[in-house]
Amino acid sequence: MEKYEKLLNMLMDFNDSIRFAAVCNPNGDIVWSSQREGMKNIVPLDETKQTMMRAIEAWTQSIHLKSHVGSGLYSVTSYEKIKRITVPLDDGNILFISVNNSPMKNSKTKSYGQIADMGKILSIVDFVKS
Amino acid sequence: MSRYEKLLNMLMDFDTSIEFAAISNTTGEILWNSSRSNLESKVPLSETKIILKRESGDWVDRCKSEDRLGLGRSLYHITSFEKIKQVTIPVDAFHLLYIVVNNEPMTKSKTKSYGRLVEMGKIMSIVDFVNTFE
Repeated sequence: MEKYEKLLNMLMDFNDSIRFAAVCNPNGDIVWSSQREGMKNIVPLDETKQTMMRAIEAWTQSIHLKSHVGSGLYSVTSYEKIKRITVPLDDGNILFISVNNSPMKNSKTKSYGQIADMGKILSIVDFVKS
Repeated sequence: MSRYEKLLNMLMDFDTSIEFAAISNTTGEILWNSSRSNLESKVPLSETKIILKRESGDWVDRCKSEDRLGLGRSLYHITSFEKIKQVTIPVDAFHLLYIVVNNEPMTKSKTKSYGRLVEMGKIMSIVDFVNTFE
């Protein structure tokens, strides 16, 4: 199994709130993707591709910050309904994940959504890389 | 004191890992800012200005897409690097909050640490509080 296919499978198995995961190459082409069964895309695929292109540009532009702030780890854009996550991979490829972000019902204070557990997601990425 | 200055002060008081906070307009121009004393900024101001220009443009796109795509209100954006996290939050239709948070890995973590958790719930509640009562 190709390593990125394995990465997507592991991510989908790890967290039920992940709705969609994809790996795209530096040109913005989706090379692997995985959609949770029975779940419809909130965002049309064309829009997701545009988001990935913007993420590639942003990560490319931030390379010159490395000497100041270290390597880029991930980005999270949070909306009321979903979180959209990007993680830079090897060779300019990007991992994109869409996660359910419905507010927690049992929260005593106002809930702004759910924690994406980025530590676990990054450890899965590192595991597959290694 | 303007509500934006109050917001910056409240954020700096709330969390000592916040190294720098600023309010910009929709073109990325810094209007107010606050840096933690005795702390040298990891990101040069010239770079911060470039980042804010890009972020403000991205937020205009995000706010346009929130209605079109039915994603609900856009809340915040985090870019995490090994040493810092950059957080942007739209405060209102004309202003963007930008925060730089220390992200040095936790030394006592049993597993590999990828940095520190930013308490976005608390930060968002401070933004909402300042917006509601001013």
